[in-house]
Amino acid sequence: MDQLYLLATLAGTRVAVAAHQVEAVVKLADISPVPGMPAHVAGLSALRSRVLTIIDVPALIRGRPTPLDQRGLAIIADISGHSYGLMVDAVHDICQVPEGHLPLRGQLDRAWGPYALAIVEQDGQPHLLVSLASFIETGLLAQAA
Amino acid sequence: MVLPRAGVGANRSGRLVEKAVAAGKLSRDAAAKMSEAEKLDLIFHAGLSTAQSVTAISGRGVGMDVVRANVERIGGVIALHNQPGRGLRIVLRVPLTLTIIPGLIIRSGGLHFAIPRAAVVEILHDNNETLHVAEVGGAKIATIRSVRHSMIDLEDVLGMAKSDQAGPRAIMVVRSATGVPFALGVAAVDNHEELVIRPASPLVMATGVYAGMTLPDNGKPMLLLDAAGLANAACLPNVADERESRQVEENEEHAAKIEMVPALRFEELSGEKRLIKLSLVERVEDIDAALFGRSGAQAFVRLDGRLVPVANGAHSFAADHVSALRLRDGRQEACYPVAAVLDIVDMPAVPDMIAMHGLLSGVAVIEGEHLEVLNPFALFAALPDGLLKEQTRGRCVLVDSEDGWTREILAPLLRQAGHEVVLGLPEEAAVDPADVVLCSDGNLSQAAEILGCRVVQLRASPRPAGPQDSSIYRYDQDALMAAISGARR
Repeated sequence: MDQLYLLATLAGTRVAVAAHQVEAVVKLADISPVPGMPAHVAGLSALRSRVLTIIDVPALIRGRPTPLDQRGLAIIADISGHSYGLMVDAVHDICQVPEGHLPLRGQLDRAWGPYALAIVEQDGQPHLLVSLASFIETGLLAQAA
Repeated sequence: MVLPRAGVGANRSGRLVEKAVAAGKLSRDAAAKMSEAEKLDLIFHAGLSTAQSVTAISGRGVGMDVVRANVERIGGVIALHNQPGRGLRIVLRVPLTLTIIPGLIIRSGGLHFAIPRAAVVEILHDNNETLHVAEVGGAKIATIRSVRHSMIDLEDVLGMAKSDQAGPRAIMVVRSATGVPFALGVAAVDNHEELVIRPASPLVMATGVYAGMTLPDNGKPMLLLDAAGLANAACLPNVADERESRQVEENEEHAAKIEMVPALRFEELSGEKRLIKLSLVERVEDIDAALFGRSGAQAFVRLDGRLVPVANGAHSFAADHVSALRLRDGRQEACYPVAAVLDIVDMPAVPDMIAMHGLLSGVAVIEGEHLEVLNPFALFAALPDGLLKEQTRGRCVLVDSEDGWTREILAPLLRQAGHEVVLGLPEEAAVDPADVVLCSDGNLSQAAEILGCRVVQLRASPRPAGPQDSSIYRYDQDALMAAISGARR
């Protein structure tokens, strides 16, 4: 497996995202809050005449919203026809990982359970491979529950 | 979008339940506890069909589960209304995706929102005098012009902090496509704009209070509120102010009950505006004022060679010509001079206020003006008697046709009283039993009595000649008239 991965830090954890899921990484501009939404929906943001729904992923994992001053970058993705921006702490690299993804090992924090698919190793460091769609779907489920 | 579905719809829910039980998706106990709406909802379960069997046509369509999934995917709502015997009505509420709608921009909790203008019935400031907001047990009730609405503040529904503000807040009466109108309190209504509505992401739509979003000029995305969703989110009771609906019903009943008749609105010579039923007015014409005259208390007008009574007694006018209504009750004719004929309006057949006096039957309110209504009954009843009399009576046969008094004094009197007068006995003894024979000769009267008709014998002296004398003094008009009419009975 010779795949491209985006390596980033999310909620203090190293993660990898399959590059084909990623449309862009942008610096977040103004976010218009959407009242009446769960905490992990940060709000709406306009990007080149598109409207993104910004998901505060760290809030989804740690359960508390990211302070405004720490909101920096977001991964833009198109998930089932809608544009989303998923907030991340930092983005490090896009690289090919010759080994591909490896099965999950060890006792995974339950907070990551719904999102982690596998392990991707780069420079000897394990990264959690996450699916961007899972953040949206889990969010919807959480809301419905 | 409403789809009236073919089929009878009768007991559809019953069949759904049977199918569901047969398919093992539902227990009998659970089915018994289900409400009608819940039973109908079974239609959305995958693999259930009400079709008895799968044929070339029946049972081949897309399942309702698929329909619902797709409608909900685009943020729509699907609802069912079962009318047994009339079919099932399927209502699809599809979001206003990428459409341009006129919307109001409102401010609340420091944010801007849009709401479709079609959903807004009216907007008031909360210091408006026609508005009264009461609070009981946390519920707010806004009474606007004595109609009560459930009231919610947008900040409360959306969980925002209410910001202090100097000016009055705005109260919008909002009506969604479904449900009853409610009052929505917002900080302010800022603007109205044509908005390009885009679909919001499912995450946002899932809240149920938003119908979409829009990107205005300032580049800050703005959410479009869904009026029905807000009411649902606030769990507003779905009750309209009964009094209002009752009033509407009453009004409708009232409207149905009131029979309207066309009426002529005119101005009296004395300046009042009055109404008269149009069907009584034969025509309106200008009459030369010189044609009007008066005799005693009775005014008349000379029309087409006849004297027509004037109903309101007017007989002298300032102008040369006067507008007059020619009235007719089918038999009698009367003339009613007016200052001006205004127009034709619809008036209630029974006046709004009954006040029988004189020529008036009451007062009707027409277009915010109260107008007296002429009473046609009183009008024609007040017409002079003599003119009303028709030649229905029998003839008066004056035997003494050669007598000067009979010819010159009695005959004109009788004619004036409406009798047909025959001078002298008819040639070929054609004396009708209804005829009255008047004579001054006792012998003749006996002869006439033999013929079988009533005889009135007149005498020249004021006193009767003797106790058997039944004749009448010829200048005793009352007795004479009484005798003639009595003779007829």
